[in-house]
Amino acid sequence: MTELHLKNVSFAYPDGTKALEDLTLNVPSGQRLAIVGQNGAGKTTAVKLMNGLLKPTEGTVHVGDWNTKDHTTAQVSRKVGYVFQNPDDQIFHNDVESEVKFGPKNMGFDPERVEKLTDWAMKLCGISNVADENPYNLPYSVRKFVTIASVLAMDSDVIILDEPTAGQDRVGLDLLGKLLDELEKKEKTVITITHDMEFVTEYFSRIVVMANRKIIADDDSEHIFYNPAILEESMLKPPAVAKMANLLGLEKGILTKSQLLSVIKERELTRGR
Amino acid sequence: MQKNFIQQLHPMTKFFFALFLSAAVLIIPGHLFSFLGFAILLLIAVAAGVVKEFLGTVMKALLFLLVIIFLMQLFFYPGDHVLGQWGIFKWTEEGLNYGLTLSSRILAMGSAFILFFRLTEVRDFVKSLEDAGLPPMGAYVVLSTLQIIPEMRRHANTIMDAQKTRGVETEGSLLIRAKAFIPTLTPLILSSISSTEERAITLESRAFSAPTKKTSLHKLTKSTADRILPFVYITILVGLILWRILT
Amino acid sequence: MKSIIEMKNVSYRYPVSDDQIIKNASFTIEKGKFTAVVGNNGSGKTTLCNIIRGFIPHFYKGELEGEVIVDGKNIVDYQLGQLGEKIGYVFQNPFIQVSGVKDTVFDEVAYGLENLGVEENEIRDRVKEILKLVKIEHLQDKHPMGLSGGQRQRVALASIIVMNPDILVIDEPTSQLDPIGTEHVFDIIRLMKERGKTIILVEHKMDLIAEYADNLIVLHEGELVLQGPTREVFADPRFGEYNIQYPHVTEVALHLQKNSVKLNYVPILDEELPESIGWTSLEESAHD
Repeated sequence: MTELHLKNVSFAYPDGTKALEDLTLNVPSGQRLAIVGQNGAGKTTAVKLMNGLLKPTEGTVHVGDWNTKDHTTAQVSRKVGYVFQNPDDQIFHNDVESEVKFGPKNMGFDPERVEKLTDWAMKLCGISNVADENPYNLPYSVRKFVTIASVLAMDSDVIILDEPTAGQDRVGLDLLGKLLDELEKKEKTVITITHDMEFVTEYFSRIVVMANRKIIADDDSEHIFYNPAILEESMLKPPAVAKMANLLGLEKGILTKSQLLSVIKERELTRGR
Repeated sequence: MQKNFIQQLHPMTKFFFALFLSAAVLIIPGHLFSFLGFAILLLIAVAAGVVKEFLGTVMKALLFLLVIIFLMQLFFYPGDHVLGQWGIFKWTEEGLNYGLTLSSRILAMGSAFILFFRLTEVRDFVKSLEDAGLPPMGAYVVLSTLQIIPEMRRHANTIMDAQKTRGVETEGSLLIRAKAFIPTLTPLILSSISSTEERAITLESRAFSAPTKKTSLHKLTKSTADRILPFVYITILVGLILWRILT
Repeated sequence: MKSIIEMKNVSYRYPVSDDQIIKNASFTIEKGKFTAVVGNNGSGKTTLCNIIRGFIPHFYKGELEGEVIVDGKNIVDYQLGQLGEKIGYVFQNPFIQVSGVKDTVFDEVAYGLENLGVEENEIRDRVKEILKLVKIEHLQDKHPMGLSGGQRQRVALASIIVMNPDILVIDEPTSQLDPIGTEHVFDIIRLMKERGKTIILVEHKMDLIAEYADNLIVLHEGELVLQGPTREVFADPRFGEYNIQYPHVTEVALHLQKNSVKLNYVPILDEELPESIGWTSLEESAHD
């Protein structure tokens, strides 16, 4: 399995604009990690370094025992898959199934394995029933799942999802949640960039907060969303549940609906209702 | 751009000047006048403060072409007065003259239009076309194409990145890069097509097809110079034509 | 209640499609009110917006049945260009909403007014006013293509609002934006509500809808299944059948109710939670 090691990584664009300053991050194999922060904080730059799309201007990025500087993006993509935010930047086949097959075929897998991975990915993303449809005839949010499936089918150890929650409805969010659980069972490492704090607290325990091109916190959700200093610097808003818990005068640390519910129920019982 | 007198002239005045100069160099025989024409253009560029960019563009766009054309004429234009020889290549006096004439004319004409575009903002040029009767849709197509081109380049890069992450190699031999062509071009074209529809809706929501006559924040005005100069051009041209016919 | 938009038994099928994407929808939009349209993806929300705005049938062909009446007149009797003055339209993708022909944000915002033939000095005054209102004065000399998604969305809104339409149709304006971008957009929407505009908004962010929307229309697979005042619709037990996101506080409260906690009423705003389950924070702090 593949571990990710970013060591003192900095990145600046050719014109000199700095995008990342002195980042160090280690992601053990099989972990689920959410990266949050305002736009411009450096989140996308950080993950693009992880799959070799960008090479660090300072420091090193190791994917397993590969130094990304020694390999092309296409090579690193065998180990680290990246789903772009906009599905329309990737899709170019006339039907969903061919689109999903494209990645594993490029990997050079044998036909049986390609078939198996394609079916698995489509099933996981809830798009098996539209396998023969033209992706552009499907709603935008379904096209997002097509691109997720096409990266999953490449069977990389690490998967990066860039804003998978944007524009999704309830059905889509639930599907994403199930997807994450399934990937965890397969011991894949999953890294997600998202603005949806409810989604983050529901499905992720390790959260990396970025602001101003640096990592300002790397901790579990409790310690981040109840830390006013971190919230202020990153300009993040805690999930709604935190506000509700506060209004009810409950103890700190409550982040998920289930936690809130059990604490409220407890109180109700002690008040003899 | 900060505008001096020359840049402030109406786009049509400047455009007619380019036409006028092109016509003049075609009328007058030989290469001397054409080179003179180019010198005049240079002077104008200096006066307008755009000489560096002007020369830069002329070099990039014309130099290579001119050298090739000159050499082609020098060696292959039919002629009897041989001036010299080098291996199998011989050059003639006729070839030299014709080569100089042709390349100097192309230099003058090409530079005239390059200078025009240096001195005129596209938006003003399109506005002048609109004033002259270009339908709004035509104006829109020209202007938006200019903005779209850099956008498309950026978009193409994003798409290439996306396909790299699907195992498409883009670095290496020509064959490898050729294989990356379709995965890069297809999403670009498809999204251009679908964004055309959305762009049309955007235009609609800005009342593009409203039946009223449109107004404009940036109006073009004609100064006295703009009114007089076209006549000056025509007068000189007529004079040149007459001189040519009579001599 | 004065209605400004009415739909009677409207159905629509896209040209290439076999199915109707909107089936027999009837509703009224109240003038000056903020109506939110909610439903899962594929339920027909964007199509509904296109119909209200008149893009269907003027722009998109296909079969439209039923009557759509805007400000007393049937939509087929309007010319497409005329509707531009009455109904403003903002949609999801910030990158396609720049005209593509203007070099500065100022000119971009002025573009619609130029097309409407407004006199130049008036254009300048109105653009200045709107730039100030929408708080994008600092962007006025920038090239529209160099802006971020959130900035572009604000410019798009400004470009539409400056045309002073009575009705605003806004389709998922914040899906591609970060929380601060979302906040800025909703600040503008709130301002428009205060100015008495009729607003029709498609959104997934239910907490914001609970805060701002007067009325709610719920779409499910092309059918209009629920409509009415926001509070009533969220409290309606049928809402839960469609697997649509609730405001977070409502979801919590309903789950509590399912687990035998007494609910005085269905809260839709966070602040209502303590009262709705019969707690007040003073009472509870004694238990800490």
